[in-house]
Amino acid sequence: MSETTEKPPGALQLLLNGIFSENPVFRLALSLCPAVAVTTTVANGFILGVAVLAVQVLSSLTVAIARGVIHPRVRIPVYTIIIAVWVSAIDMTLAAFVPALYAQVGLYIKLIVAFAIIISRLEVFASRQPLVPSFWDAMGMGLGFMLALMVIGALREVLGAGAFFGIPLFKTKPLLFFALPAGGFFSIALLMAFFNVLERKLTGGTSKPAAGGHHG
Amino acid sequence: MSELVHIDGAPRPKADPKVIAGIAMNLALVCAVSAIVLGGVYVGTERYQRMARLEGERTAVGALLQLGPGSEVTEVEQYLDAAKNEVLYRAREYGNEAAPVRARVFSLSGELRGSNDDAGAEPPAGLEPLGRMFVARENGALAGFVLEGESRGYKNRIRFFVALDSSLAVQGVRVLEHEEDPGLGAEIATPVFRAQFTGRTPDEIAAIGVTRDPMPEDWHAALAAYASSTGAEAPAEWRTLVQRERGKPIYAITGATISSRALTRGVKGAVDHFRRRWSLLAPQLEPAGAAK
Repeated sequence: MSETTEKPPGALQLLLNGIFSENPVFRLALSLCPAVAVTTTVANGFILGVAVLAVQVLSSLTVAIARGVIHPRVRIPVYTIIIAVWVSAIDMTLAAFVPALYAQVGLYIKLIVAFAIIISRLEVFASRQPLVPSFWDAMGMGLGFMLALMVIGALREVLGAGAFFGIPLFKTKPLLFFALPAGGFFSIALLMAFFNVLERKLTGGTSKPAAGGHHG
Repeated sequence: MSELVHIDGAPRPKADPKVIAGIAMNLALVCAVSAIVLGGVYVGTERYQRMARLEGERTAVGALLQLGPGSEVTEVEQYLDAAKNEVLYRAREYGNEAAPVRARVFSLSGELRGSNDDAGAEPPAGLEPLGRMFVARENGALAGFVLEGESRGYKNRIRFFVALDSSLAVQGVRVLEHEEDPGLGAEIATPVFRAQFTGRTPDEIAAIGVTRDPMPEDWHAALAAYASSTGAEAPAEWRTLVQRERGKPIYAITGATISSRALTRGVKGAVDHFRRRWSLLAPQLEPAGAAK
């Protein structure tokens, strides 16, 4: 609740915040379900990441503009409607104008309505801050999510399918386990631990470890 | 009726009707604005969406049949009239909205009940569409078919095309629309999985099953080679191995048996249905007058 009184941080600070210290997947542990489901390859992670970035930015901007009008008691249903409208609009536009791309990403777009990370940023940030900081927060969170998915996708594609960005690296599939859903959880856990160690080293052990759900 | 209590047992505070009205107005306003935005986007994109879908179908039909010049394709729409137990077929030149429509009505037992060589452009209302088929002729001789089919997948319908050659053996399968899970069920749309159907005769399709056994390495390699080959000639390793595999079940995608079964069931249904109906329809679809 303190965000209302504090002066919002600068653009660069907000961007880096989303990518590193509050990374949606590795630090906030949000939207892990889609992060496991689609990250079998780097390309999948990238496509979903771009779509999430677009929906996050558009929804955050809408909420930042309309926050005076939204009744606080029904804010969650209203956020859900706003996200659903943007997801559907992007879905229809892509299907109409870039059918070749839509054939590849259409499956992912509809999933975004239920992503916890988007609604959580609307509730925590965009509903309490002006337009410009909300934009940078959405950019940072979207980019952080995209990069996290690509890192997970890279680990799983190299280990599970023996390829990188669809290009075969080895003759065999080293550890097929990593391409399956259970392997996805292990990949995220390993990467989360790695980033915790890294952050501990960089900040001299002052930062808190990742804890899911502390942002509601 | 007992008084409403809060979840922790305390009496529920009386709601102020003004607050309730305010909330209702607020939600209604948000929904109305959303509906207007979505309606606007739909109106603006619907025409392009339909054009993109038709263009995609045309590309798929062309790629599946690999027709040369001098070929013509007839599009046949099928409708079920459940009230009269009749099936209506409407045939016209594919891609030519202005071409005359030839309509034929059959009873479910296969008896010809009606015939009209200049039916209207729009089908009669209230009939259930049964999918379409495309009949290709090259220099007047039958060159192949593309059947449109639908099957219930893991999440939503799977819409697909099956191409048959003139002996009704499968020439290729193409998944047009589906909403299966990316990385799992969505793999049914990959060239290697689809290529498993190719080369099977209608009798083999009628007896087709799905197995969860792993696909043999050599067959996977042969299917990959077949899927990436572009020429008219199929790769040699595929031609040898298809003899061994054509009577065997389809190898399911790991972790996506339901999606694999759904597409297999759909292909089987489309081919079985077409086989029963084609003998009735073939004489009716002979090119009118001399072949072009």
